[in-house]
Amino acid sequence: MNAAEVRWLRADLRARRAQALLTVLAVAGIVTALITAATLLEDGTNPWRGLFARGNGAHVWIHTKDTPDPAVLRGLDGVTDIAGPYRSAPATLVLDGKKIPVTLREMSATLPAVGRPLVREGAWLDPRVPSGVVVERSYARTLGLRAGTAFTVIGLNGATHALKVAGLAESGDQGFYPEWTPGLAWTLAGTLDQIEPKLGRSESVTGLRLADSGDTSLVVQRAITTLGGQVQRVSTWREVEQSMELDNRLLGVLLALFGAAGLVAAVLAIANATGGRVLTQRRDIATLKSLGFTRRQVVRMLVIEHGSLGLAGIVVGVLCGRLITVYALAETVVVPLSSLPLLAIALGTAAVVLVAVWLPAWRGGRTPPLPAVPAPPRGHLSRVARLAFLVRLPPALVLGARDAFTRRLPAFLTAFGLAIPMMMITIGLGYWATLDDFRSHPEQVGQAAALTVRPASLTSEEAQRLALADPDVVAAFPGAEVDALVPGQTRTVRARAYGTVSDPYPFTVVDGRLFRDRGEAVAGQGLLDLLHVSVGDRVRLTIGGTPLIVRIVGRVLEPEQDGEVLSVPLDALAPKDALPPQYYGLVLREGADAGAVRSRLQGEGLEVSQVVNPADRLAVIRVIIVGLVVVLALIGLANLLTASAVGLRDHAQDLAVLKAMGLTPRQVAATLVTGTGLLVVLGVAAGAGAGALVSAGLIDLQGAASGMGAGIGRAPGPATLLLAMATAVGAALLVALIPARRAARARVPVAPR
Amino acid sequence: MSAAAPAVRAVNLVKIYQTGGLPVPAVRGVDLTVEAGEFVAIMGPSGSGKSTLVHMLGGLDTRTSGEIWIEGTRADTLSESGWALLRRRNIGFVFQFFNLVDNMTVADNVELPALLGGSAPRHARERREYLLGELGLTGKADAAPAQLSGGEQQRVALARALANHPRVLLADEPTGNLDSRNTRDVLRLLGEVHRQGQTIVLVTHDARVAGLADRVVTLLDGQIVDDGAVGLPRRRTKGGPGDVVELRG
Repeated sequence: MNAAEVRWLRADLRARRAQALLTVLAVAGIVTALITAATLLEDGTNPWRGLFARGNGAHVWIHTKDTPDPAVLRGLDGVTDIAGPYRSAPATLVLDGKKIPVTLREMSATLPAVGRPLVREGAWLDPRVPSGVVVERSYARTLGLRAGTAFTVIGLNGATHALKVAGLAESGDQGFYPEWTPGLAWTLAGTLDQIEPKLGRSESVTGLRLADSGDTSLVVQRAITTLGGQVQRVSTWREVEQSMELDNRLLGVLLALFGAAGLVAAVLAIANATGGRVLTQRRDIATLKSLGFTRRQVVRMLVIEHGSLGLAGIVVGVLCGRLITVYALAETVVVPLSSLPLLAIALGTAAVVLVAVWLPAWRGGRTPPLPAVPAPPRGHLSRVARLAFLVRLPPALVLGARDAFTRRLPAFLTAFGLAIPMMMITIGLGYWATLDDFRSHPEQVGQAAALTVRPASLTSEEAQRLALADPDVVAAFPGAEVDALVPGQTRTVRARAYGTVSDPYPFTVVDGRLFRDRGEAVAGQGLLDLLHVSVGDRVRLTIGGTPLIVRIVGRVLEPEQDGEVLSVPLDALAPKDALPPQYYGLVLREGADAGAVRSRLQGEGLEVSQVVNPADRLAVIRVIIVGLVVVLALIGLANLLTASAVGLRDHAQDLAVLKAMGLTPRQVAATLVTGTGLLVVLGVAAGAGAGALVSAGLIDLQGAASGMGAGIGRAPGPATLLLAMATAVGAALLVALIPARRAARARVPVAPR
Repeated sequence: MSAAAPAVRAVNLVKIYQTGGLPVPAVRGVDLTVEAGEFVAIMGPSGSGKSTLVHMLGGLDTRTSGEIWIEGTRADTLSESGWALLRRRNIGFVFQFFNLVDNMTVADNVELPALLGGSAPRHARERREYLLGELGLTGKADAAPAQLSGGEQQRVALARALANHPRVLLADEPTGNLDSRNTRDVLRLLGEVHRQGQTIVLVTHDARVAGLADRVVTLLDGQIVDDGAVGLPRRRTKGGPGDVVELRG
């Protein structure tokens, strides 16, 4: 580049620092969103892959009643090695008075070859310290356990045992706590025998390592056939992987959607800004050309000036994206985005930005070298203006309405450039409304019961009586959860018996109806997808060895287990599975404080847990929405500044005429503000309308993809929407007012400059 | 490029604008030769085609037909960028509305052509300091053009036009937007530059301004109706009726 070009670039950038900064920030925000989205979507945040590879994990885990013959399993076609069989027993961990279920699994002091837990803190099991156990890390973190923490464990027979955390380990064998319950702890065989002496109350767990992970379903079928009725539960690597990724995936899709739409908006803003700048600079460009700048030099200068802002934004965005994945997502083990998608995002954005900049720059290069007085745009009275005339609006409004549409394409681009950010903001508000709805009306997302009580040491009748005695409890629905085997499926699904045929639990039925008969069931979207069935189909399953055929008569919103839950009435189960009920779901009086009820019932000796609202798990979405709204507002602001600069330039000549005609400065300012404001109102209204139309559907799509099911989406409330529109229009008018007032008050030059 | 070649030569130059499909002739067959070191004023009423003529001579506007020779080289067949390169080296422009780049300081405005021509920044700065010093603007080097008065802006524009030692200085109504005091200053400067051997073609409709030139060409309806030397006695004294008119001072 020539020194003269550099000199001009520097001067021009210095003259429009704020606008330049705005461009950089807008692009940086969008690139950050894209990179974070790609990281989340690429599974960089899914630690399963690393854990499985490093621990030489087992693809399939089979839970059986008795210890299977390892040789038989090892001999199965497709199995290369096995882990275990390990004895595994349920127990209750007591910590600071809280009782939390835990699974104790025996393991040897030497780490096994397959399904090897990875010790992260402390040490592995040591035969010299029989009371030492190794706790799964996510479980330990939730409970606040560290290496060296002492705790007690109550076996099923009621005996207490003092144990100590020897170390914390990670494992790809099961998902993280609390998504995957109960938590896992490894003990030495002797320790487990002490805590749970009865073999009948424990199960046997065997891991199969396969030659080809694609054969999983086949091998599982073979194992189930071979082991006969022994199999209680099967889990595969797919579930583990899925359980570790799901929330991030939803966030990733959300971010990607916003990022992509934001990129369009940002590119439009850059193109608008460059185009507007070139338009207002035509005189300067002509002067440069009269000095001897060539067309190519002019184009090069403009592309470099505006493109470098975009590129700076990309660099900042890449840095921010890295920082966010390292710090904001510190909870999960993040593998930074691999270089290919990173390059794709950076180069793709760069290419799009350069095209957006090059077009107006090319037009700028074609400016004739004759520094002519800027020709006013070919004006014609638009229909709106004619209408304004007819209904005798104040002159400022009529003139403003005329000005707004004199240049059709820029007018459209301005309105469109504001509509896209506004649409995305509206969709973000839709997410917000959906989350609010989760919280304020949990019964509408299948969480009518705010508390579940387990009888603990009491009988279930007593527990029900005690619960119903509480003034805030309206109803108590008996429930039981069992694992069901579905023929042809490689894994167990959750079957939940909740309420009875005559007194069903108030599920949120979205499609079809609630069960009315024992042979009927309702299911979440996740289950329908998993089994490839739809409402009206029959499903055959085996629950605790008893075959059961049910017809799915409705789809419910199912916030748990990725929606992979089949709900049946309690009477449908065999009495051995259903009686006594495992727990009661308590529906509280409206406005009751669940926490207070919980502590009251706990005082009565019941084991009470509060249902986790899905909104709590998705709370981070709110942070993302706020961040994105800021970025989108910046983009809208950039568009607005361009529009108002071009409007001023187009009408600088008119100002003298208007004043000569007798318009007061206030009227002149009103004319200029109306010109921009009309486009703002149009863009904002169109964007908000489109956003309100699509937001519920879009959220439903994501709800369906996450397994919870369509039917959760809410459009933002009319009050919220109006407030958002009013804020956007108000802010826009304020921004437009400042230059308009300045222009209206300035002494109008009769000759150009 | 022989030494004898005129600085600017136009042969049967024609410019026809197409306005709404109708041909509007602005310049109709002008033959003009400006010798090196000559100061030519082009006069004529509004719409006589004088600005169009000088714009064509500088390549800012395209000709419809005819030939333009600058320093013995044919220029009318040049491409847009060819003209740009030619302007960089050989032609300086001064406009009625100064046309300074608003975002740049006075110093940057003046250094721009030199830098564009490939001078080292140090040389460009020295030249700028010299020119601003000559024009009495040393103190204004870091000011923005908008902070200057009209006369000062036009002096900066003149400095910018002279930054590259152009062979020809084309001035289009340089005093058209100035009051009489500033007009006098600018004209004095033009006269001094001319005395140092600068070729100047100046467009004006002000007889007093034209009176400063060696030769006045009068245009009417795109054609030269009068072309004659003004016998001002100050330099090449010839004596004669021109002596009566002494307007400067």
